[in-house]
Amino acid sequence: MKIGPAATGATLLALALTLSACGSSESTGTGAAQPAGEAGATGGKVGIDFPRADSDFWNSFSKYVPQMATELGVDLMPPTNSQNDVAKLVANTQALSGQGAKVIVMAPQDTGAIASTLQSLESKNIPVVTVDTRPDKGKVYMVVRADNKAYGTKACEFLGEKLGGKGKVVQLMGALSSINGRDRAEAFGACMKEKFPQITVFNEPTEWEGTKAASMLQTRLEQHPDIKGVYMHAGGVHLAPTIQVLKAKNLIAPPEDPKHVFVISNDGIPQEFEAIRKGEIDATLSQPADLYAKYALFYAKAAAEGKTFQPGPTDHDSTIIQLPNGLEDQLPAPLVTKENVDDQALWGNQVK
Amino acid sequence: MTTTKTSSPVSAAPRGRRIQFGRFRDLTLVPVIVVLLIAGSFVDPIFLTPGNLTNVLQQQSALALVVLAEALILIAGKFDLSLESTVGMAPAVGVMLVIPVAAGGFGLELPGILAIPLCLLVGGLVGAFNGFLIMRFQLSAFIVTLAMMIVVHGLQLGLTQGKSLFELPESFLYLGSATWLGLPAAIWIVGALFTVAIVALGYFRVGRSLYAIGGNADAARAVGVRVERVVWAVFVIGGIVAALAGVLETGRLGGISANQGVGWIFMAFAAAVIGGVSMDGGKGTILGALTGVLVIGLVENILTLKGVPGEWKQLVYGSIILVALMISRLAGGKAQD
Repeated sequence: MKIGPAATGATLLALALTLSACGSSESTGTGAAQPAGEAGATGGKVGIDFPRADSDFWNSFSKYVPQMATELGVDLMPPTNSQNDVAKLVANTQALSGQGAKVIVMAPQDTGAIASTLQSLESKNIPVVTVDTRPDKGKVYMVVRADNKAYGTKACEFLGEKLGGKGKVVQLMGALSSINGRDRAEAFGACMKEKFPQITVFNEPTEWEGTKAASMLQTRLEQHPDIKGVYMHAGGVHLAPTIQVLKAKNLIAPPEDPKHVFVISNDGIPQEFEAIRKGEIDATLSQPADLYAKYALFYAKAAAEGKTFQPGPTDHDSTIIQLPNGLEDQLPAPLVTKENVDDQALWGNQVK
Repeated sequence: MTTTKTSSPVSAAPRGRRIQFGRFRDLTLVPVIVVLLIAGSFVDPIFLTPGNLTNVLQQQSALALVVLAEALILIAGKFDLSLESTVGMAPAVGVMLVIPVAAGGFGLELPGILAIPLCLLVGGLVGAFNGFLIMRFQLSAFIVTLAMMIVVHGLQLGLTQGKSLFELPESFLYLGSATWLGLPAAIWIVGALFTVAIVALGYFRVGRSLYAIGGNADAARAVGVRVERVVWAVFVIGGIVAALAGVLETGRLGGISANQGVGWIFMAFAAAVIGGVSMDGGKGTILGALTGVLVIGLVENILTLKGVPGEWKQLVYGSIILVALMISRLAGGKAQD
């Protein structure tokens, strides 16, 4: 147990090495974003804030942003990241507007606490495009998000039909403090009650955490071994734990087998497609990270050019609806099953 | 927490009646566990079945190891908040050294069998660095490990670019998912490590010296305990045990998400403290900490079986921990600290 100066030196060296490795990867990241910003310049500068750095979905989104900015010719400022913290988001927005942003794109994870920031941006005549979440109050130029209620309903219909309208299903819910989690859970529950009243639903509040999902699903399966369906709110966090629990219970079986548990996921990341191909899960709802990036920047550019939009169907298979505080473009969310999992149009098949 | 404390009346080698008291303090949570077992059996008939209780133990195995690491460090009179970040970062780095670039690795592609040893090595290095800053630099353990909690988690986010790692070597998942003699391997591993720690802290000189250091570091130094060296070793062991917790958790979940371990430290402290480990050092036992983990696991299990609505669950959960604290205070009979 001798820990002398040599070991200390080695520790410091190792830490310095890992830190420098980390630093270099970060600098290439911003380097890649830079030329995209300088590529085209019409309208005004667009500032963008990413909501978090620890989720598969948002990382795909942030990869698409510089790429789409080049395609659409948007003058993008270096992106900021608010790390799932509304206080950081407020500070970042102030910095962006201070640096001369004409439009700001953000994804406030706390939809209530952003209201006063939106008001102050409105007073400065800076239009705001929000992605994925709909602020409760405060003016927005456009909300770009998938119809999360449709996710819940589609998942309910899928499981209801596969189970023949009876049996027990588990819903692994996201955080109830997020509008997306709530929308999915409410729509799923309402549809089950209305269309498949004989199906019992167990709601598991996982807070988007894999470890809770695994424990809750395992406990519920012990209590009710006849559970035949699972709806996961987020493939990124729920997929691996769910498969691991089903594997341990020996419940991964082909759909014809009476042991089979029908699993439908939500997000459409590549790992979910892989699991569908292997037959570990049955379906997923693809949340289009590429379209989120594309239309967020599309509307940002339109806002900078002073264009306006009306409620109604759009040219890209979606519908714009009127909100009390702005407009919302509800992007389509395709159901992916074994039949169409290899479709190259799905964003999950394009990321490398 | 401070090394210059002089008050605590704790003994390096309790004898006679003191041993009796130490034993009693271990078991203050036993009434709570009995109450929970009875309450649980009313909630759902499935609760008392071996299958369900095995699940509870398996679900808590990773947290139990973090509690073990934290209890050792607390008894030695220090503090480590960075353990929770090691639970995620050490497995992520260990795995990234062996998996190909396409799966999110560094591209070194070392043999898969090395993933677990590398992971434990990384955990040990984090502990060694904490120990270096605290013992050699004489910095406050609380602030150092608070900063390290952010640094270590940040390192994981930076290296993985925030992505989850899904394609892991089979050997890495084995410990967390295998079954030995009818019980999950994780339970055997946790049981073995707790036994080692209980025996070491109860009957061996090095183990006993942790109590001496935590109670009064200067007095311990005066009687010839190599305080710096022992505490430093405890930090290294803590880091390694937290890394092993990460391995078990990864095996149970089948992947490493970018926020694995985040928020665990509060649970770890709750378990250690309701189990009778003092935040001021020098007091408490490993067996007590283990009963704390069991209480937390049983409460979680009962809440899930009962199907408590999500929006109320945290309130109920927190309240039950408070009640457990009060019961253990009454059963223990002595003021908690």
